[in-house]
Amino acid sequence: MVTRRTVLGTLSTLGVVAATGVLPARGAASAQALGQQETIEAAMKRLFGGRPMKDGGSLIKLDMPLIAENGAVVPLSIEVSSPMTAANHVKHIYVVADKNRIPVVTRVALTPAAGQAYMGANIRLGETGDVRAIVEQSDGTLLQVKREVKVTVGGCGG
Amino acid sequence: MASDIGKVRLRIPSSIKSDDVVKVRILVIHPMERIERDKQGKIIERNYNYIDKVLVTYLGKTVASFDTTQNVSENPFFAFAFRATDPGQLKVTFTDTTAGKYEGTTDIKFS
Repeated sequence: MVTRRTVLGTLSTLGVVAATGVLPARGAASAQALGQQETIEAAMKRLFGGRPMKDGGSLIKLDMPLIAENGAVVPLSIEVSSPMTAANHVKHIYVVADKNRIPVVTRVALTPAAGQAYMGANIRLGETGDVRAIVEQSDGTLLQVKREVKVTVGGCGG
Repeated sequence: MASDIGKVRLRIPSSIKSDDVVKVRILVIHPMERIERDKQGKIIERNYNYIDKVLVTYLGKTVASFDTTQNVSENPFFAFAFRATDPGQLKVTFTDTTAGKYEGTTDIKFS
């Protein structure tokens, strides 16, 4: 039976749904802020606020070519040895290219459901420079590895 | 090739066993517009069309999400891993800055 009361109740639930629908738009705005034209130092400061960073060479496997003939497409993969349990897992993997005008390339958020801390992507590199993989673990520890990639033809356009 | 924008491809291993950690490769056809600059090197302000969010869900739960910038190549390719606990749907959603939404799904079955 449809009474005035049930109709009003349904309407208010719809209102809640509409309100939550706004959230992804806000997420998009923050993602836009992720890629800003800035120096690498400014980017690191903005993302990590000067938190100490350990060398992650023993845990992080950053796989990418030493020489990239075409900077427009540089394949890259990152594997982190981690148990990926709820208590101890890799929360974020950041990819940062030092010499790009917009240094932050991507941020990957992982959950324990991933089973393995692994990501791959094709990225653009403007010129020869370091590429960093920065891993944030669930306890807040930051680990970093760096690799220099030589770029023959830049791929970032302007 | 504007009509191809948003074509999503997912590639999973041909045989998956229960509780395997599966590596998946995904690809979407998208221009990923680069920033354009004028002669002085100033950025031309406009809304560039590029993918800024990739969300991967398995059985309705988030496995991984990528926040991306224009530093990702045209026709972006990504890879990730997940633990196949139950048969079900793996879904990937790409969102770009023009509110375009591109989805790809695949069913995980055990052999």
